[in-house]
Amino acid sequence: MIVCVAVVGYQNNPLYIQSFTDADDALKLHHIVHCSLDVVDERVNNPKKSGPPLNETFLGLLYPTENYKVYGYLTNTKVKFILVTTDLDVRDADVRNFFKRFHAVYVDAVSNPFHVPGKKITSRTFAERVSTIVKSFGLSSAG
Amino acid sequence: MGREVSESCIDSLLTEMVSTYCNRFYANKPELAARRIEAIGYQVGHQLSERYTMDRPRFSDHLEAIKFICKDFWSELFKKQIDNLKTNHRGTFVLQDNRFRWLTRMSIDQSPENGASEDTSIMADNKAVQSMHLYFPCGIIRGALSNLGIPCAVSADISNLPACSFVVRIKA
Repeated sequence: MIVCVAVVGYQNNPLYIQSFTDADDALKLHHIVHCSLDVVDERVNNPKKSGPPLNETFLGLLYPTENYKVYGYLTNTKVKFILVTTDLDVRDADVRNFFKRFHAVYVDAVSNPFHVPGKKITSRTFAERVSTIVKSFGLSSAG
Repeated sequence: MGREVSESCIDSLLTEMVSTYCNRFYANKPELAARRIEAIGYQVGHQLSERYTMDRPRFSDHLEAIKFICKDFWSELFKKQIDNLKTNHRGTFVLQDNRFRWLTRMSIDQSPENGASEDTSIMADNKAVQSMHLYFPCGIIRGALSNLGIPCAVSADISNLPACSFVVRIKA
């Protein structure tokens, strides 16, 4: 199940971090997201020959830690979406689908004229839609 | 999911916006009015570029981003593409639209039969008003490019209406 999702701006400033379990320490999750930013930068700047092509938005599994898997997604506007999950086997297609829906919700939140670009996303609608997507991710991969 | 608005509403809104900023808010300060209109365009371009780059793979260089502006972005906004793109390969691009949609309703000056001085000052005024209307699309282009990571300066050139060129200078 998904533990945490994060949106990080192009100056590596956090725009939205939301954890979905009570058990885990929020600080640890922040730390994991922060470390994954380095991996994102490295993937973008040094493309491996066997890795995905340079221009893909979905970056795939960034790195597995003891309990978690971290997936990354980089948009054209250099905004990064980070997904931390504890599932042992997650289908690639599910994660891609998740990021696609997440991107659509993010675009809607940013199109809000009251949203200041570069500041945190404070919209309640965004938070609700994100939690809807997170819940449906758990259901689809369980089936 | 989005609701649609008729195009004449957008035309009227833009005309009214320019006239309000020029004649009411910043009545005798055209530079401030121009800057404010351009800033509005910047924010709009910023948000629109977020939406229109959603399903695309990332751009590998500046030229690809400019081509995206010329083709996809312009067709989403104006239902046509940029007609001509020129570059000096040193950071300057000229985007030419032969029939810019937001200027189609604008009256074009007839050339004066005799070079009387009153005519030329009226023509100069008309040119100033016409150029005010172009600050908004310049801002849109600048906002879209900055969101893609390309800081630039955009200016417009209306030497022959209804064609209009946008000059994009990328800041090194």
